[in-house]
Amino acid sequence: MRGLVRWSSKWWPGALPLLVLWGLAAWTTTVPLEADVAARASAALKDTVLDKTQIVVAGRDVSFTAEAFSEEGRRSAVAAVEAVPGVRLVNDGTRLVAEAQPYVWSVERDVVRVTLGGATPLPASKARLLDAARNSLNGVEIADRMALARGAPQRFDAAALLLVDQVGRLKEGKITLTDNKVALTGMARELGGREAIAAALKNLPDGFSVASNEIKAPPYVFQAYKDPVAVTLTLTGYVPDNAVHAALAAAAARKFFSEKVIDNLKASIGAPAGFSNVVVAALGALSRLSTGTLVVSDRAVMLSGDALYDEAVNQIRAGLAKDLPQGWQIKTEVSVKPAAAPVDPTVCQQLFADLLAKNKIRFESGRATIDPDSAGLLDRLIEIALRCPSATVEIAGHTDGDGDTGFNQTLSEKRAQAVAEYMARAGLPAERFRPVGYGSTAPVAPNDNDEGKAQNRRIEFMVR
Amino acid sequence: MVTLASFYWGWLLGAALLGFGMGWIAVVHRGHGLSKAAAGWLGLLLVVLLGLALARVVPGRPGYWLDLGLVLLAIYLAGCSVGSWLRYWVVSRHESAA
Repeated sequence: MRGLVRWSSKWWPGALPLLVLWGLAAWTTTVPLEADVAARASAALKDTVLDKTQIVVAGRDVSFTAEAFSEEGRRSAVAAVEAVPGVRLVNDGTRLVAEAQPYVWSVERDVVRVTLGGATPLPASKARLLDAARNSLNGVEIADRMALARGAPQRFDAAALLLVDQVGRLKEGKITLTDNKVALTGMARELGGREAIAAALKNLPDGFSVASNEIKAPPYVFQAYKDPVAVTLTLTGYVPDNAVHAALAAAAARKFFSEKVIDNLKASIGAPAGFSNVVVAALGALSRLSTGTLVVSDRAVMLSGDALYDEAVNQIRAGLAKDLPQGWQIKTEVSVKPAAAPVDPTVCQQLFADLLAKNKIRFESGRATIDPDSAGLLDRLIEIALRCPSATVEIAGHTDGDGDTGFNQTLSEKRAQAVAEYMARAGLPAERFRPVGYGSTAPVAPNDNDEGKAQNRRIEFMVR
Repeated sequence: MVTLASFYWGWLLGAALLGFGMGWIAVVHRGHGLSKAAAGWLGLLLVVLLGLALARVVPGRPGYWLDLGLVLLAIYLAGCSVGSWLRYWVVSRHESAA
């Protein structure tokens, strides 16, 4: 042992190469060691729920900053880093996630995207809400503006997930969850959406309630488009129920005798009061146009298109205004179709006959009042009459064989007279029309069946 | 520590070999050894450095370098001891044989 002490006094020359060795070792191992320690520390925190985790290693010292969701979680995270092999010191920069008071979370939908914002309690609930949003809003862009905060109410996730599902029913709007109160604003995507959301809100978890629900229903829209080229009438939009649907389809078929009716109507609740009557009246107005569009949106009626002659524009406008109930608005943008080229009286006769073969002027039963359904037909007769201004036209009224001959004679005269007056009101010279009643003296079919009688009740236009 | 040793075992081995060589030479070396005063000062410096390392007061990278230096020194001294003792054993056996 004494020898060892003696020899050790001669060990010092090796210290110089040792210094060099030390320098080289420090030079080459520092950075890899730091990376290794950082990787181990990150691995140790893999299963710990933290936010904004940051690990900076200098030598063997770890500067560890993070936001934890509970004091216990914070302590165990620090302990996990301290336990990493190779770590000398942990500079603890951890703290608890801020507490939100009040606890506000929201989901907002606009034209472009759905934005989730506000506070969520854990990264897992945040991810779950984003997933739910992606699933229920297929293809819509989802923006995440959510931050993490403590202090969420009990069963926050369940409530927020239910609200995320409702956003699919909104066209635009915002749902806000403040503590355990839900506030909704915006507009439903479809008719009935508002009601569906209200029903779903009844399933909110215990303790949650709806503070305000200002979701608006979308406008109740009915549209009709008369296409003179395809000779179609296209109906789209909503009707209150199947009975009204059938009634409107029947009215459209009566008023648009030559057009094919394409019926794309859907039944939905939410129609304004008086919807059915207004639509029937407006369809009557549309039937008098050569081409046109009718839009009924909530309580606003918009009619645009081309009338067949000048006076029709005024008649249509005044007629619609008269038919609309209180509280409804009307807007008409009706112009006049350019007049067709004049033709020979013989051509006129042919046109009258062709048109009247397709449909007949209708009257109220047993009376000489023209059925409003015939307005479209009459306008077309007037249009033809305007094309042969020199021709004089005999308007011949006929009845079926039923009833008293004298009554039938008078009725046929009065009906012919009513049509002649209608022509005069359209601006045609009254002297061009000669109303004549034939009673039941000139039947075109046997009077022994209903079909034949219907054929016999008629108005004919004869160019003289 | 095992983790650290596995990380720079090459350097430790280098220090051990250096120590072994120095210890091997020291037994038959004719030169002057360190004076007692210098050895005392060096010992004091070593104690201070050891104290700093154990108290972990040197932060970050310098702290790591200090640890590394002390470990290398310890291994070096251990290598010296083994080298000197082995040389002494070889020399004394040789002399007794002669």
